[in-house]
Amino acid sequence: MSVREAPQLPSSASQEAGILRVLADARFLAGRAIRESLRQPGVEVTNIFIPLFFLAVSTGAIANFSDRGFGVENYLAFQLPVAVLQAVAGSSSASGIAIVLDMERGYFDKLLLTPASRWALIIGRVWADAVRAVFFATIMLIAALIAGSGMAAGVGGAIVILIIAGLFGGAYSGIGIFIAMRTGNAQAAQAGFLLFFPLLFMAPAFAPLAIFDDWLRWIATVNPVTYIMEGMRQLVIHDYGWLVLENGIPVIGADGRPVQDDPPGLHWAFVSLAGFSAFTMTIAALALRARTRAD
Amino acid sequence: MSTQTPSISERLLDGLAAPAPQHDRDAAPAIEAHGLVKHFGDIHAVNGIDLRVRPGQIFGFLGQNGSGKSTTVRMLTTLLRPTSGSARVAGHDIYADDREIRRSIGVALQDAGLDILQTGRELLRLQSRLYNIPRDQIESRVAELLDVVDLTEDADRRIGGYSGGMQRRLDLASALVHSPSIIFLDEPTTGLDPVSRQAVWDYVQHLNRVDGVTFFLTTQYLDEADLLCDEIAILDAGEIVQQGTPDELKATVSNDVIYVQVEGDEPIQQRAVNTLIQIPNVEDASWDFNEGVAVYTKNGHETLARVVRSLDDESLPFSNLRLARATLDDVFFRATGHRIEPGDPAQSGQPGASA
Repeated sequence: MSVREAPQLPSSASQEAGILRVLADARFLAGRAIRESLRQPGVEVTNIFIPLFFLAVSTGAIANFSDRGFGVENYLAFQLPVAVLQAVAGSSSASGIAIVLDMERGYFDKLLLTPASRWALIIGRVWADAVRAVFFATIMLIAALIAGSGMAAGVGGAIVILIIAGLFGGAYSGIGIFIAMRTGNAQAAQAGFLLFFPLLFMAPAFAPLAIFDDWLRWIATVNPVTYIMEGMRQLVIHDYGWLVLENGIPVIGADGRPVQDDPPGLHWAFVSLAGFSAFTMTIAALALRARTRAD
Repeated sequence: MSTQTPSISERLLDGLAAPAPQHDRDAAPAIEAHGLVKHFGDIHAVNGIDLRVRPGQIFGFLGQNGSGKSTTVRMLTTLLRPTSGSARVAGHDIYADDREIRRSIGVALQDAGLDILQTGRELLRLQSRLYNIPRDQIESRVAELLDVVDLTEDADRRIGGYSGGMQRRLDLASALVHSPSIIFLDEPTTGLDPVSRQAVWDYVQHLNRVDGVTFFLTTQYLDEADLLCDEIAILDAGEIVQQGTPDELKATVSNDVIYVQVEGDEPIQQRAVNTLIQIPNVEDASWDFNEGVAVYTKNGHETLARVVRSLDDESLPFSNLRLARATLDDVFFRATGHRIEPGDPAQSGQPGASA
């Protein structure tokens, strides 16, 4: 066998059809991205330590007051979705940095030079981030359960939380991919995580929406993280929120005034995830196209 | 009766003894470009390149840093969209059939594009999968390529621990996974020590002679271009200023060059040039800061004494008189007006990255 003769490549005509090929390539690239994480455990420890630290200190500071202050009996349970989202956003932001490093090392060009679909480069990263998100969310859940958060919706509820975390992780990675493609700059890509904080603080992260000032409540209402967070909270505190249909409406009316004080139902978490994913994937895809056209 | 199959390494060495392939001048070109232009804002990186590379050729782009070599490679390999012009690679249009081109070519860019967290084996395995090599052939193919580039023992170590030479060899192997008919190598030996450079040259010659692979390589090393290339295009400021086989190019300058260091400032150097160019048999004379005055002649031995006499007659003090055969360096100088100055120690034979 000569170096040139070796592999019998399928002819173009027999190549797997478009979307299956893209998914196959994305799976290989996702595998590589996950290996990358496993080989840098030091980097990943931060994504575990920081959310656990905030969970511990915020609970320690507010738990004794939360019931009297704003009617939350189990503040640890109230905070668990915040820790999950924080861990997931931190982990998914790393994709942008990884892509910039690939660019700096020339490996991104090597991938672009293969016949693999360029969309597979994005989908592979998103896929890996979704898997990593589930891993980090699992650690947050276990830690909180051990600390006594409880889980009103039981094992099924925990699984739904992990699904939401995975979807949010995949969606959030689009932001890092967008920044990496547009800037090619590691510092800028790192800032992808900082963008999470406005989204977090303008959602009912530390207190229920009911006690927010109107202006902040209005912002929280259009913030997708509000619905994703409240959906998870439903499962931890109140069982399956989607069964409570009267809670299944947005928390603010057409006149701009609150229409209810109860949190939105679980299904709004999935609606928000769909919208958020559509937005982040679109900007990531447009940025990839702009970069690979390289005009 | 069974015969023992020679290893790839043995066959690689056999390949170097094989005759260079004959190129059919009428065959459809492996690579062709017409009026290829690339501007980055006000920077005109490539200014209208026309070229035609025949199947089985080793075609070299010789030029200094910033001459447009890498930009041309990036356009031909579909990484960069030209500002204007057209090109076909392996019969496919760079605008319309970019994916077909990527299926047909192997590319090793100037900086070895590797993921330092993977092992060598993992990188080649992933590369094979992305080229859609059948699953049952991947492991044997990866093992074969690791053997070819002498990385079998290090295959399961992370690439971050490889030396520069090992990374370059792995990069080359990754360009071969799908058995491309055309391989682009952008400065394949820049930064390598002499042993690693020789290894890369051996792989290139083997693949060309035994497997008929067409190579398009860029280099700033004259010896590399002279040794490997069937045809060389000298690139300067984004334009091809001269093109031909190494022998054809050398024939454009005289057989011999006499170098002489004349003492004095630039007007004195110019006086020396004007004096020496009057000597019968002298075809040209020029001056540059590094080499001094260069006198091009068909017969160096005969002209040497006349050079000495002429300088004495003009009372021009001189030293370091030296006779040399004309090289590609002289061709390059005549074509571009400056000497090529590679930006790394490999040209001088000093060790760069270890193998």
